[in-house]
Amino acid sequence: MAGVSSVLAAPRPRRLELSTVLCSLVLAAVALCVVFPLLLVALQSLQVAPPGQPARYGLDGWRAALGEPGLRAALVNTLTVTFVRQLLSLPLAVLVAWLLARTDLPGRGWIEFAFWAAFFLPPFTVTLSWILLLDPEYGLVNTALARLPFVTSGPFNIYSFWGIVWVHVLTGSLTVKVILLTPAFRNMNAAFEEASRVAGAGTLRTALRITVPVMAPAILSVLLLGTMVSLQTFEVEQVLGLPFRFFVFSTTIYDLLVTRVPRYDAATALAVLILAAMLPLVFAQQWLTRGRRYTTVTGQFQRRVHPLGRWRAPATAFVLALVVVVLGVPVVFALLGTFMKLFGFFHVPDPWTLDNWRTVLGDELFLRSLRNTLVLSLGTAGAAIVVHSLIAYIVARTSYAGRRLLDFVSWLPFTVPGIILGLALLWLFLGVPLLRPLYGTTTLLIVAGVIAGMPLGVQIIRSGLMQLGSELEEASRIAGATWWATYRRIILRLMAPTLLAVGMITFVGAARNIGNFALLTTSANRPLSILQLDYVAQRKFEEAVVVACIIMLVSLAGALLARLIGLRGGGLG
Amino acid sequence: MHVESGIGETVLALDRVSKRFGEAAAVDSVSLTVRRGEIFTLLGPSGCGKTTTLRLVAGLERPDAGEIILRDRVVASAARRLFIAPNRRNLGMVFQSYAVWPHMTVFDNVAYPLQLRRLARPLVREKVARVLELVGLGGMEERPGTLLSGGQMQRLALCRALVYEPDLLLLDEPFSNLDAKLREQMRAEVKLLQRRLGITVLFVTHDQVEALSLSDRIAVMHRGRVEQVGAPRALYERPTSAFVRDFLGQTVVLAGRVAASGARGDGCVTVAMNGPLAGCTLAGRSTAAAPFAAGAAATIAIRPEDIRVAPDDAGAPDAGHLVGTIEALAFVGDRYEARVALGPEHCIVLLLGRARDWREGERVRLGFPPELVSVWPA
Repeated sequence: MAGVSSVLAAPRPRRLELSTVLCSLVLAAVALCVVFPLLLVALQSLQVAPPGQPARYGLDGWRAALGEPGLRAALVNTLTVTFVRQLLSLPLAVLVAWLLARTDLPGRGWIEFAFWAAFFLPPFTVTLSWILLLDPEYGLVNTALARLPFVTSGPFNIYSFWGIVWVHVLTGSLTVKVILLTPAFRNMNAAFEEASRVAGAGTLRTALRITVPVMAPAILSVLLLGTMVSLQTFEVEQVLGLPFRFFVFSTTIYDLLVTRVPRYDAATALAVLILAAMLPLVFAQQWLTRGRRYTTVTGQFQRRVHPLGRWRAPATAFVLALVVVVLGVPVVFALLGTFMKLFGFFHVPDPWTLDNWRTVLGDELFLRSLRNTLVLSLGTAGAAIVVHSLIAYIVARTSYAGRRLLDFVSWLPFTVPGIILGLALLWLFLGVPLLRPLYGTTTLLIVAGVIAGMPLGVQIIRSGLMQLGSELEEASRIAGATWWATYRRIILRLMAPTLLAVGMITFVGAARNIGNFALLTTSANRPLSILQLDYVAQRKFEEAVVVACIIMLVSLAGALLARLIGLRGGGLG
Repeated sequence: MHVESGIGETVLALDRVSKRFGEAAAVDSVSLTVRRGEIFTLLGPSGCGKTTTLRLVAGLERPDAGEIILRDRVVASAARRLFIAPNRRNLGMVFQSYAVWPHMTVFDNVAYPLQLRRLARPLVREKVARVLELVGLGGMEERPGTLLSGGQMQRLALCRALVYEPDLLLLDEPFSNLDAKLREQMRAEVKLLQRRLGITVLFVTHDQVEALSLSDRIAVMHRGRVEQVGAPRALYERPTSAFVRDFLGQTVVLAGRVAASGARGDGCVTVAMNGPLAGCTLAGRSTAAAPFAAGAAATIAIRPEDIRVAPDDAGAPDAGHLVGTIEALAFVGDRYEARVALGPEHCIVLLLGRARDWREGERVRLGFPPELVSVWPA
């Protein structure tokens, strides 16, 4: 010992082992922001006194939720829309992902990016675009078809069950599945397929008998994720369902909370029901992604693809047509819509104008909302990177006793409709005296945005961490670095591309978020996404579509940036 | 490393250390001591607990029972609920995947542990340059760590683990990702480096050749337990358990019954062979603690290279000899590989020198020198 110089002795403990303290703090904070509000929701469902009167507890809300035919219809509608969406989009998404990842489809890199960009399109904007095309009286497709002989009126009606399903499949359902499944298909070990080819199976048989079954856990996981996301949707039904009194769960709640005398008890009782229905899905999702069930990724990257042969041209045409429908149509028509004197009326003489842009850009309300949105989105992205990466790290890497619990809690925001989460946060912020001054500020919206993006953000970072060999970290610990130094100097640096991509996704998510913010905004902190909703409520479609278009452009820029960052990260190794 | 009196001093001691993963005991009451300046190897098949033992020493796992003592300091003790984090143990470690940080250059990788120890910048530069020079990576400081070849990455990982002069260097199968030729070269380099710097090494491998050629002492592990500890040659020549005997090198094992035991008081046991070899007797030294009872079932074991092979001169087999027929013969360059049938369904594989032309179908006489035969309880 005497021979060893003192500078080279192991670094002395400079502080208490931070990790356990930090982990517990994170868990406590997340629980406060997620679990506590949800408990408030559950409690509220038993509180039957009208707002403003002393609390009284009973089962009236539950009786209303279970008994009133309107609410039951909403539940049935929600489940039907969800089921049909998944049924239609899953086979389509598997096919597209397989074509993009495992065949020689020309331009597949660009096509994948197109789906990525389409995923970023705000559903609200897409809905407005499809109204232009499929409105039963004025929609372009309908008026064009009505000119044909024997067709007396336009055959399509966007304000219908199938109209809602159509827009949903094109916005969330299909694109999210394609962008999640394509990398999973790409990372599959080609040896599975090659063995099948050598055994004498053709491309199609190999895809159906080998590729898809091997990928079953990934596909199932994406399906569960898609189901959870679809149970939350709000704006599509709000715009398309209202005219024909078609309510789903989230719009019913909005209706109960906003337009009538608020029925908090009934609304929250419904929320508790949905929460209970979602929990098994969360457990299933966690079970699927835990441990060694994803054994498809191997170290050797054999990016060998199947030749499509004579199916190449039809497959290309099919996928390109999909791209036009999910990306081209919404973007083009959202832009066109902003220049229309009367939204949706193509046949009036001289329908085009710049006035909409002039009105909106000159509106003091718009400028304030734009500033709010920028502050909100940047703040959310920055906070999300820190919060989500901490949670993901604790879940994926530490031996902290509460990590399973933390993982579970990080999923909870997916289990309730955004509008209910917003309501829960409202109660949290109004109910806790210390937090009350935050009501009506952008900070409140940032908290909501971070929580809303938590399930996706944590999962993306977590899977990034899983790919990062834990030895890189252990080497740093043994070299003498504390947990905190390792986190700063090794993990954060190596994860930078993933983190920036998550930041971008949360930025866009916050910019277009309606459900979570609808109940939390006042005139002081109103962002663009709520402004467009307010315009619609005032039947100012022209102004609404301009704002929607601006949000769309911000989102597309975000998509492009995230992609560029992500690609650089991919090159890093 | 100039402290001569330190030779033989204990650097690492494990005292009845256990680690469970769920139901299975990965490490089961392991006790070991590693002395200063030696290369101590944990050898065993995959899943025997050797890597877990290494990770327990490193502080990457917490023991469920027992104590780990590093240079007179208890670094982990289940009973006292004491656990020193890996960053405060002053160990060096080379990982199987090398774990070269991809976002750092060669210099940054090696300088990192020194920076954590708050060394002055010029001193860091000097130490990094010296250690890189030592392994032949001089002049590559600015290269990104990921742009190195496998051998270079391994040298880099070694530099990073050595630069702060750790008390103990841990090597976790560091050669397994290299091709055969490079593996041999790196093995020699590491041994040379270890001798020169006098560092203490705890080495984990499943490759017996690697273990035998590199180690001063080896602990053979099996199912989470240490089967035997000893110098390579002692382990090979005098294994104390059937597992060690069969895991290290090739062994010919034959069954029989004890005919005479300890008659001469030197532990020599005579065994009458069973089955098709009935009528033959072989003698060897006993490995059992208790003396063998006459008539007890026993097996004899010998390394195939210790069997003396000669052309059969057709005389009746006397004691200490068996007769067999060469069933299949393969010339493998420096020698012959022969399958010799001792009877129906009873074959052993022997290596024969190429000084003589052997033929398939030829009868051979096999000599079993009693001093090289061991007798085991069946």
